Amino acid sequence: MWVTVRLVAIAFAIAIGAGTLVAALRVAPNVLLQRVGGVYVETFRNIPLLVLLFISFAGLRRAGVPVSAWVAGTASLGIYTSAYVAEVLRSGVFSVSRGQIEAALSLGYTYPEAMRRVVLPQAFRTVISPLGSLIIAMIKNSAIIGVSLLALPDLLKTARLIQSRTFDTNEAFFWAAVGYLLLTGSVTLVIRVLESKYAIRR
Amino acid sequence: MHKALHWFLALTALIALLAVAGCGGDDEESAGGGDSAEQAKQFPADTTMGKLQDKGEIAIGVKYDVPPFGFKNPQSGDIEGFDVDIGKAIADKLGVKPKFIEAISDNRIPFLQNGTADLILSTMTINKERDQEIDFSEPYYVARGRVLVPQNSKITGVADLKQGTSVCTALGSTYEENLKKQAPDAERKLVDSYSECLELIQNGAVDAVSTDDVILTGMIIQDDSLKLVGDELTTEPYGAGIKDGDAAFKEFVDSTIAEFKSDGRWKQTHEKWVSQYTDEPQEPPTMTLQEALEATS
Repeated sequence: MWVTVRLVAIAFAIAIGAGTLVAALRVAPNVLLQRVGGVYVETFRNIPLLVLLFISFAGLRRAGVPVSAWVAGTASLGIYTSAYVAEVLRSGVFSVSRGQIEAALSLGYTYPEAMRRVVLPQAFRTVISPLGSLIIAMIKNSAIIGVSLLALPDLLKTARLIQSRTFDTNEAFFWAAVGYLLLTGSVTLVIRVLESKYAIRR
Repeated sequence: MHKALHWFLALTALIALLAVAGCGGDDEESAGGGDSAEQAKQFPADTTMGKLQDKGEIAIGVKYDVPPFGFKNPQSGDIEGFDVDIGKAIADKLGVKPKFIEAISDNRIPFLQNGTADLILSTMTINKERDQEIDFSEPYYVARGRVLVPQNSKITGVADLKQGTSVCTALGSTYEENLKKQAPDAERKLVDSYSECLELIQNGAVDAVSTDDVILTGMIIQDDSLKLVGDELTTEPYGAGIKDGDAAFKEFVDSTIAEFKSDGRWKQTHEKWVSQYTDEPQEPPTMTLQEALEATS
C-alpha cells in the first residue's frame, strides 16, 4: 500500500509541476508557446499509460539509459497525468474573467506577474475538485504500473503475490479493493474539506 | 426512412456474414489434424469425457509465450509446441476439437476451478501445494531448474545471486519460492510471463532469469547472447492439470499420456521441439506422480 502511496505522491508532484508549466504555455500570449503546450498535451494525453511505461523503461534502457523501475514508473504516471492537469488548469484560468487580467495589466503588473498574483490563485480555487478527480484517477492508474513490466510491488501486485501463494483469489482481491477504496476515500475527504474552505461558489 | 432501414439491414447482414466467415476460419485452424483420427471411443454421458464429446470441444489452457512448449507462432498465428502436441493427442483420443486458450502461471489454477479450461498443459510443475487445489496427471516431462545470464556475466550459478543482484521469474511459479530459499538476498522481479523476463534481461534491468531449462532454452533460441550457468537447482516434473477430484478424467489423461510415451510419439515430439536445439535426445520420463510429489515437497 505504501508503494502505491509513494508512487502516486511523487507522480502527483511531477504532474502538478509539469502540468502548471504546460498550462502556462497554453495560456501564454504567444502563439508558438501555445502550440508547444498543445502538442505536449495531445501527445501525452493520447498515449496509453502502459505504452508510456514500456517506452520509458524498456525503450530507454535499450537505448542505453539505465532508468530504474521507480523513476520510469513515477515519471510516466506523472507526465501522463500532467497533460490532464494542464487542461484542468487551463480551463481554470479561462474561468477567471478577461477583465481581471486587463485590470491587473493596467495597474502596472507584467503579464507573468498578473498570472501569478491575480489569475492563478483564483484558478487554483476553481480547479480543486477536478484536480481531486485526477488524484483518484492516478491512484487507480498506478495499478497499471504494478502489472506492467516494471513489476513494482504496489497494492495490486502485492494482492497478486498473496493470491499466487494462497490461491485465495476472492480474498486477495477483496482486500486490494478495500485498500484502493481507503486511499481514494481519504483523498475524497481531503478534497471535500479543501473545497468547503477555498472553492469559489458562484 | 425506408431507404435508411434497407441500408441498415444490408449492413447488418454483411457484418453477420463476415463474422460467420471469420469463425469458420478459426474452426478449421483449431481442428489441427484431428479429422484423421480413427473413430474415438464413446464415453458415458455423465463422465467428463462424455460431456466433452457432447460439446465436441475441449478447452486446453497452454502458455502462449513459452517456446518451445506453448507459443503463438508469429507468422501463422497458430498455437504450437510440446504441450500443444500433447493436448492434440488427448483431444484426438476423445475425437473432439482442441481449443487452446492462454493460461499464464497466475491464472491457470483458477481457470480449472471455474471451468474456463478443461485441462491445463502449461509447463506446470507438480507440487504438493498445487495438488491440494487441483489433480495432476502422471508426469509427461521432467525439466530442470537453471539460471540464465548474459554471456559476459560474472554470475556462475545460483550461489552468485547475492545482495545487489536481481533475478526474474514468473509470478505464481515454483521459482518464486525456490529463489526465496536458494537466493534469499537477491531482488526477485516477479512478472506475468517469461517473455517479460526475456525483455528485462535483454535491457539489463535484471541480472539473471531462473526457471525451467526448457523455457530458458527457448530464450537462447531467440537470443544467443544468453547462456545457462550452474548446476540444476531443482527437478521440475510437468503434469497436466485436471479439476480436483475428477478421477475418471485423470485416468483417461494418464492412459493417453502413457500411450503417447510408449508408442514413440513422445520421442518424436521431443526431437521436434527440444532436442534439435539442445542436441540432447531424451527418453520419456519414468518418474511417477508419487515420486514427483515427494521430489518437489
